[in-house]
Amino acid sequence: MNAAQVLNGLALGSLLMVLSSGLAMIYGLRGVANFAHGALYMSGAYIAYSVSDRMSFGAAIVIVPLALAVIGVVLELCFFRPLQHRSHIELGLITFGLALIVERVVILVWGEKTLRVVPPEFLQGTSTVFGVEYPSYRLAIIVIALALAAGLILWLRLSTVGLHIRAASQDIETASIMGINVDKVSLIVVSLGSALAGLAGTLAAPYIALDPGMGNAFLITVLIVVVVGGIGSIAGAMIAGMGLGLIQTLSTVWSPSFAVLVPYLALTIVLLWRPTGLAGKRIS
Amino acid sequence: MKRQLIAAAATLALATTAACGAASTNSGSDGGDTIKIALIPPTSGALAQFGTDAVNAWKTAARLANDNGGIDGKKVELIIKGTDADPATTLREAREAATKDGAQFIGAVMTSPEHAALNAQLEGLNVLSFNGLGKDDALVGEQCSKNAFHVVQTSSMDITGLASSISELAGDKWAIMAVDYATGHSAAKKFKAAAEAEGKEVVLEQFAPLNTTDFGSYITKIKDSGADAVFAVEYGADGVAFVQQADQFNLDKQLKTVLGFNMVSEPLFKTLGNSIAGYYNNVGYDVDGDNALNKEFVAAYTEDHGSAPYYVPADNFLSAETLFAGIEKAGSTDPAKVADALQDLSFDSIVGNVTLRGADNSLMRDSYLGEVVKAGNGLKFKILTNSSPDVTTPEPDSACKK
Repeated sequence: MNAAQVLNGLALGSLLMVLSSGLAMIYGLRGVANFAHGALYMSGAYIAYSVSDRMSFGAAIVIVPLALAVIGVVLELCFFRPLQHRSHIELGLITFGLALIVERVVILVWGEKTLRVVPPEFLQGTSTVFGVEYPSYRLAIIVIALALAAGLILWLRLSTVGLHIRAASQDIETASIMGINVDKVSLIVVSLGSALAGLAGTLAAPYIALDPGMGNAFLITVLIVVVVGGIGSIAGAMIAGMGLGLIQTLSTVWSPSFAVLVPYLALTIVLLWRPTGLAGKRIS
Repeated sequence: MKRQLIAAAATLALATTAACGAASTNSGSDGGDTIKIALIPPTSGALAQFGTDAVNAWKTAARLANDNGGIDGKKVELIIKGTDADPATTLREAREAATKDGAQFIGAVMTSPEHAALNAQLEGLNVLSFNGLGKDDALVGEQCSKNAFHVVQTSSMDITGLASSISELAGDKWAIMAVDYATGHSAAKKFKAAAEAEGKEVVLEQFAPLNTTDFGSYITKIKDSGADAVFAVEYGADGVAFVQQADQFNLDKQLKTVLGFNMVSEPLFKTLGNSIAGYYNNVGYDVDGDNALNKEFVAAYTEDHGSAPYYVPADNFLSAETLFAGIEKAGSTDPAKVADALQDLSFDSIVGNVTLRGADNSLMRDSYLGEVVKAGNGLKFKILTNSSPDVTTPEPDSACKK
């Protein structure tokens, strides 16, 4: 096993980390398995394609998460809040339907051809790290994801809003009785979770090929990451995402056919060993 | 009054049944002054663009034919259907086209599974199918039909054409990167045998599952293997991901040759950009082919649809040429007579003189090796070698019982 393969695992794990943390946040607070998360990620990648084409990739990194945060606000105000007293299965089905609608809209706007986003010029080619020549763009993804993870956890632990989010995720009704504005907290969490999906899509755009099915391909893996991490736990999802990325990549070196099974095996083993997931139900 | 109403209703029902029966009986037989061709392309999903381009080629073929007074004096009429590329949907559309719309011929069906399902039903429907897209070898083997005509090269023909050109390519240590699918394994096996026969070494053979998004670990293994050439069998989004990630890893710096099998094609040139300049790939059709029929087709297609044709429109136009040659020889649009007329028929086409081999209804035509080169602001294939059908085409499969 060489250092380049470990870096490959870290790069994939970083992408899973960013994508799964948004899903974990929404699940932790709203209790909704947001099946539209993959579609949000996919639409983020397509918007990044257009913004990069007309402006720059740097602009896409800023604009796409903001655009997806607005979509998150719409999701919260039009679906999650009015339907919060309905069963989780019903809400899950609605998000599934929304995912289908988003996919069709993307096809109507961008077409069905596979697209490609070129990374910014200074991140093209390779850099040498640990004596290994490795793609600069993948190194940038690892750095961005780790910085984001640290920032997110510090924000949740040290800020007042973070405290309210953690309290509401533990018990939303008690948090409300204690005077926390849970509607505001929920709005922040859903819009931030959607923004993270948009950021993941933007980061993924130069990494993988863009096609309308790309969200579905990642959604199943990310749902597994969230369950393995401990439903609703952002830190758990981050650890599980990075771990799964590493294990899957390293097992690909050994046997690509077996590597496809790794997420499902990890899910089975973790649920048998620790049914609440790696971290249990905590927000950070 | 009530009895009269019942009698009238019964008479009307009988008349309707008789009319339907008459329509059904007429379907699939000689269509009189019209040649009715049903097109059943995919209209949704990843293949939709190919479906549109296939239909465009048939439209151009019909226009040219009708402008010249029709085929054997008969007007060409296209009946355009649509499918999601699911064999069940395609079959349903084919039945409707044959029994309700009176189609005698079918074209623009895309995938091999659709053709396999269709071939089994063609005789019952009394229609002929012209396959310009499905490449599976089984379609001219155990799944063949006397009513199905295979115009496009099979996978075997393509890979044999590539393998026969390996001596022309630089690189002594080859890595094989293929999709973990039957096509990927069979292509890898044939290529490995051809490479070793040429005294080249295969230093790595690896297969990635279909829909792989991250090729990082595969590319790292290629770099570590010391390979100086790569044979890649990756399609669609997988192919795009492999190419763009290989570019990010600077894999090209280590390689003298990247040879793709159905990996890069004209519709992907814009997406893949200049990073694929210098790549080699099998090419089914040479747009610059120097014959009058091809020049006429390229000019007409470009005029009709605003861009030059590539292999999908070309293979469908060739399907139309094959059908029209059969009708002219038969002097009839009756499917059975056209099928008989096509047996071992040679005719001039956009890809030169071709022969339809009667034993398995497959068209004997050349295969090419192309290099992607820069042309103006874009890219194009430059044809390097031409493999004739006596090199690329295996003997008819004994499993084909027509």
